[in-house]
Amino acid sequence: MSDLELSVMAKDTDRAKPLSGRWVWNAVLPAALVALLLGFAAFDHGVLSPANLLNIAQQTSYLALFAMAQTVVILTRGFDLALGPTVSMVSVGTALAMAGATATGHDTSVVLFAGLGAGFGLGIACGLFNGVVIALLGVNPFVATLGSYNIAIGIATTLSSGRPVQGVPKLFSQIFYGGSVFGVPAAIVITVVIGIALHLILSCTVFGRSLYIIGTNPRAAAVAGLPVKRILVATYVLCSGLAALGAIMMTARTGSGEPNLGGALSLQAIAGAVVGGTSLAGGRGGVGTAVLGALFITILSNGMNLTRIDGYVQMVVLGAIVIVGVLLDRLRLERGQ
Amino acid sequence: MDVDDDPKPAEPLLRLRGISKHFTGVRALDRVDLDVRAGELHVLFGENGAGKSTLINVVSGTFPPDEGTFHFESEEIRHLTPQRARAIGISPVFQEFSLVPSLTVEENLFLGREVSQGGVLWAREMRKRATALIDELGFDLNPALRVDDLSRAHQQMAEIAKALLGRVRLLILDEPTASLTERETGRLFELIARLKSQNVGLIYVSHRMREIRALADRVTVLRDGRHIRTLDAATSTDGELVELMTGRKIDLLFPTIAHKPDKVMVDVENLTLADGSVRDVNLYARAGEITGIAGLVGCGKSELIRAIYGIEPATSGVIRIDGAPYEFPAPRRSLKRGIAYFPANRIAEGLALSRPIRENASMTVLDLPAFARFGLLRQAAERARIGGIMAQLQLRPPNIERTAGALSGGNRQKVMLGRALTRELTVFLFDEPSVGIDVGAKLEVYEFMKRLVEAGAAVIVVSSELPEVLALSNRLYVMHHGRIAAELTGDEKTEQNVLSSFFRDHLTAEVA
Amino acid sequence: MSTARVTAGPQSSIGLRSIAGRIGFLPALLLLLVAAMSATDPQFYGIINILNILRNASLLAIVACGQALVIVAGGFDLSVGAVVALASVVTAKTMATTATAFPGNTALIIASGVAAGLGCGMVVGLVNGFCVAKLKVSGFVVTLGTMSATAGVGLMITNGIPVYGMPDIFVKGFGRAQAFGLPTAVHVALIVILVMVFAQRRTLFGRYVYAIGGNVDAAVVSGVSIQRHIVGTYVVSSVLAALAGILLTAQVGSGQASFGGDRMMLQSIAAAVIGGVSLRGGVGRVEIVAISALFLTILGNALNLLHVDSRLQPVFLGVIMVAAVALDELSRRRKARV
Repeated sequence: MSDLELSVMAKDTDRAKPLSGRWVWNAVLPAALVALLLGFAAFDHGVLSPANLLNIAQQTSYLALFAMAQTVVILTRGFDLALGPTVSMVSVGTALAMAGATATGHDTSVVLFAGLGAGFGLGIACGLFNGVVIALLGVNPFVATLGSYNIAIGIATTLSSGRPVQGVPKLFSQIFYGGSVFGVPAAIVITVVIGIALHLILSCTVFGRSLYIIGTNPRAAAVAGLPVKRILVATYVLCSGLAALGAIMMTARTGSGEPNLGGALSLQAIAGAVVGGTSLAGGRGGVGTAVLGALFITILSNGMNLTRIDGYVQMVVLGAIVIVGVLLDRLRLERGQ
Repeated sequence: MDVDDDPKPAEPLLRLRGISKHFTGVRALDRVDLDVRAGELHVLFGENGAGKSTLINVVSGTFPPDEGTFHFESEEIRHLTPQRARAIGISPVFQEFSLVPSLTVEENLFLGREVSQGGVLWAREMRKRATALIDELGFDLNPALRVDDLSRAHQQMAEIAKALLGRVRLLILDEPTASLTERETGRLFELIARLKSQNVGLIYVSHRMREIRALADRVTVLRDGRHIRTLDAATSTDGELVELMTGRKIDLLFPTIAHKPDKVMVDVENLTLADGSVRDVNLYARAGEITGIAGLVGCGKSELIRAIYGIEPATSGVIRIDGAPYEFPAPRRSLKRGIAYFPANRIAEGLALSRPIRENASMTVLDLPAFARFGLLRQAAERARIGGIMAQLQLRPPNIERTAGALSGGNRQKVMLGRALTRELTVFLFDEPSVGIDVGAKLEVYEFMKRLVEAGAAVIVVSSELPEVLALSNRLYVMHHGRIAAELTGDEKTEQNVLSSFFRDHLTAEVA
Repeated sequence: MSTARVTAGPQSSIGLRSIAGRIGFLPALLLLLVAAMSATDPQFYGIINILNILRNASLLAIVACGQALVIVAGGFDLSVGAVVALASVVTAKTMATTATAFPGNTALIIASGVAAGLGCGMVVGLVNGFCVAKLKVSGFVVTLGTMSATAGVGLMITNGIPVYGMPDIFVKGFGRAQAFGLPTAVHVALIVILVMVFAQRRTLFGRYVYAIGGNVDAAVVSGVSIQRHIVGTYVVSSVLAALAGILLTAQVGSGQASFGGDRMMLQSIAAAVIGGVSLRGGVGRVEIVAISALFLTILGNALNLLHVDSRLQPVFLGVIMVAAVALDELSRRRKARV
C-alpha cells in the first residue's frame, strides 16, 4: 500500500538511534559545562569560588524548575510560551493576597496560606486555560500559549498597576528563600525534592508513561485508548503549577510581587529544556535534560555577568543557543535514520 | 486493443537494472530490473508491500534509488528529481499524493509548470489549456473547483489530467480505477488505448485480474521487493500470476479455520458516519466466526470498523455489542467492553516507534490493576507479562526492551497482536491485517486469527486483498460507495461474485 | 483567479467555506465597532483620531501582510517585532553617521539609512529562512531565537537610548507628510497591500506559497522548489517589518529599540489569524488580513477612548486570538471530510 511505504519514508524519523550515540550525547553537555566553567575561570578566578558555585547552584534551581515545567509539555509535542508571564502573574497575585491578608489583620499562618493559595490557584487556572484550549478546542499550542501570554501579562500588570507589590511578610521570605536544610538553601532543597518527585512521576506512573507515548505518537496513543485529552490538560496544569512554585520562590527572594519577574523566563526555560536535549519532536527528555540545560544556561549567564559581558549581548547569545539547541536536536534525529 | 508483439524489441523506453532501495529497517527494493517499451502497457503485479509503490516512486524521481542504473530513452539518468522526471516526459499518477487540497483543479494541473512570464502567471492561457485538456480527456470536471470540494473519483480524474498535461512519454498509473465507477473506468481504458497508439509507454499498478487481462502487454511480478519474473500477458494464466505473486499456492497460504458461529457479538444497524463514508449500513458478526468485509479503496470498509471502535464519528444508527447498545464509542470504552482494533497503518496509528516494545504492547492495558495500581506502574509485572506474550508470539529477536522502530513489518504487527493477549477481549477488528508484512508473518497472523476464532471470539477482517478475505471469512460483506452491496456465504463467496457486486449490473463485457 | 472562485461558489456542494464566511463577518464587525464608537464618543470620528488610526493600522497591516505570507506557507515569524526595532535604530544610526561623514548630502544620507534598515531586515529574514528551509528547524523556535537575538542587537547599538540626527526632510517631508490628506504610511501600506495581493494571485511565488502550505508533499512531487520559496516568505516578512520600522522612525523622528516589540509581533499574528489565515497553511489572503489589522487598531483605539486600562489591552488581544483559532478549528471539525 502506497500510503504505508511513503509514510515509512516520511514519518519514520523517530527511529531508535544507536545506544552509543545516546552515550556520546549524554557526555557532551557535561563536558561543555566543565569547559565553560574553566573557560570563565580563566578570565575571573571568582567563578570557581565556593561562594559563586553555591550561587550558581541556587540560581540554577529556579531555572531548573522552569525548564522541568517546560520539558513536561514539550514531551507531549507541546509548548508553553506563557510560562514567563504566568510567573509574573503568580508573583503579583501571591504578594497581593498576602498584603491583603496582612492588612485585614490575619494571623501570619493565614497570610502564608492565602499567598500560597492565590499563587497556586492562579498558576493552576492558567494551566487549565492552556490545557483546555489546546486539548479540547484543538488550538495549536504555540498560538494558545501566545494568547495566554498576553492575558497573563495583562492581568499581572493590571493587578499591580505595573509596580512591585510590597507587603510580603518576612516569614514568607525566610521560609522560601532564607531557609535552609543542613545548610543547603531552601531553593536548592525544594528543586531537588521536586526534581526527584517529577522523575518518579515520569518513570513510574501511568501518567508519565502516557506523556512519552503521546509525545511519540499522539494518534497511536488515542487509538490505544489512552485518555489523551485529559492527560494533556493535566500536563499543562502540572507545567503551570511548577511555574507557580518557581514564582513563589522568586517572590520570596525579591521580597515583593514583581510584574516583570517572568520577562525572559519563557525563552530561558525553552532554551534550558532544548539545550539539555529535550526533543521538540516529543517523547524524548526528562528531569535530567532539564536540569543539565538549566545548569548550562545559568553558568553561561553567570560567567557572562562576572566577565562583564553586556546584558544585551546575553540576549543575543540566548537566542543563538535556542537555535543551536534545536538544530542539534534535529541532527540527532537525522543521525538516527 | 492491439498487443505489441514486436519480434525484435528495440531499446526500451525505460530500462532499470539492479535498483535497490532501503528504508529504515525495511529493504523495499532488492536489485529490481524493469523494461518498459514505448507503446506498451506494463503491469506491475504484486501484493501490498511487494515494492510496487516504491518502484514507481523511484521511476518518477520521488525517491532516489540506493543503487542500480536508470536509462530513459537510451540515456542514463542520475539524480532524478520529480521536476526533471516531468521535464523528460515521465508522468506519475499517484493514488492521492500530488494534489493541493486548497487549490483549484486548474491550479493543481499546472502546479510546478505554470505558464508565466517574468514570474507573473498567465491565467487566461492556463484556463484555456486546462479546459481543452479536460475536454479532450472527456472528463466531467470543472477546472475552477477547489480540489477539497471534489469527490474521490473526481480527484482521481484531476490527478490523471495533471499527469497528461504537457509532453508525456511514460505514464505511471497506480491503481487508477480504485475509486472510479464503471463508466469512468471505461473512459480511462479508451484513453489508455489512445496513448498506446501514440507510442506512450505505460506502467500500470494493479492486482485486478480483469484489468490486467484487458490492458496488459507484459506483466512484471514483484514479491518482497524482488523482481520475480516478467511474462507476456497473452501467454500467462491467472493461476500462474497469483502463484508467482504469493510465492506459493493459495490453498497452502491460508489455514483452514473451523468456524462455529455462536451468538451475535456485534450488531450494527443503519449506521451512517459524519463524513458520509458509510451510509445506512447493517451488519452483524457472530462469535466463533470470521466476518469479512471486502471492497475497493475508499469504499468505507475501514471507516465502518473504525466507527465501531470509536475513532470515526457516527451521526446515526445503533451499535450493539453482545446484545447491549453501545453509545458514543471511544477507544478506551471499547477496550473495556472487550473490543480491540488493529489499524492498517501501524506506523501512524499503532506504534510509538521510539518507545520499547514492552511499552507498545502494554499501551492498551494501563487501566488494568494487573499493570498499574493507583496510577503507579507495576513494571516488574509488566515485564514478565509482556515478555511471556511476546515469547508466545515468537518475536524475533525476543528482546522486549528494543524500540518498536527497530522491528520489521511482521514483528511490528506481532507487537500489535500482543496487545490482544494482554486483556480480556471478545471482539477483534482487523483493518488490512497483512499490509506491509512478509508471507511468513502473514501466515502467523492468520494462525493467530484462527486461534482467536476457535477460542470463541468474534473476528471482523477488513481487507482489500480479495483472496485473503475470501479464504479467511465465514461470511463476507462487500461494500461499495459506503453501502453494503452484498452479503456472501458458503459457495457464493467467489472472486467473481465479489467483483460483480462492486460493479453491480455493469459487469460482463470486459473479460478477455 | 477571483472570477474562477466566484463561479465556483454556487456549484460547490459545501458552498461558502469558512474563509468566505469570514470576509462577510469581519467587515460587518468592523462597521459595528465604528458605528458603536461614533455613537458613544464624538472624539472617535475627529480627524486627528482617524488619521491616527489609519497610521497605526497601516504599520500593522504592513507587518501583518508579511506574517500572513509566512503562515500561509505553513511557518511562523515571531521575530517581526524585534526587526521593526532593529530597522529603526539601524536606519537612524546610519543616517546620523552618514550625516557626519557627508554633511548636507541629504539624498545619500536618506538612501543609506533606508538601505541599511531594509538590509538588516533582509539579513534576519535570510537567517530565519535558512534555518527553517535548509536546516529544517521549526519556524516557531527559530524565530523565537532570532527574536531574542535581534532585540539584543538593537539594544546593543543604542543602549536603549533613542537615536537622533536624521535629516529634517526625512522626518518632516516624509514621515510626517501627508498627500491627498493621508499620511505617508497609509500610501505605503496601500502600495504594499496591492503588491502583495498581486503577488498572491498572479505570480508564481504566490501560487507556490499556497501550494507549499496546502500540501508540501504534493508541491515536491510537482517539482516546486520548496526551500527557495520558504526562504522567500521569511525574507518578505522581515523586509516588510523593517519597512514598518523605517516608517515609524520617520514619523517619530528618532530610532528607538523599543519600537515594535512583542506587541507588534502579537498583533501581526492576531491580525493574520483573525483575517482568516489558517495556521495549518495554504489558506489566507492579505487583503482580509489588512482589514483585520484595521479592525484591531480601531479596537485598541476604542478601548483607549473608553478609558479601559491600557495594561488590560493585551488580555483582549490574547482572548481574540485564541478565540479566532478555536473557531477555525471547530468549523474545520464540523466540516465533513471529502
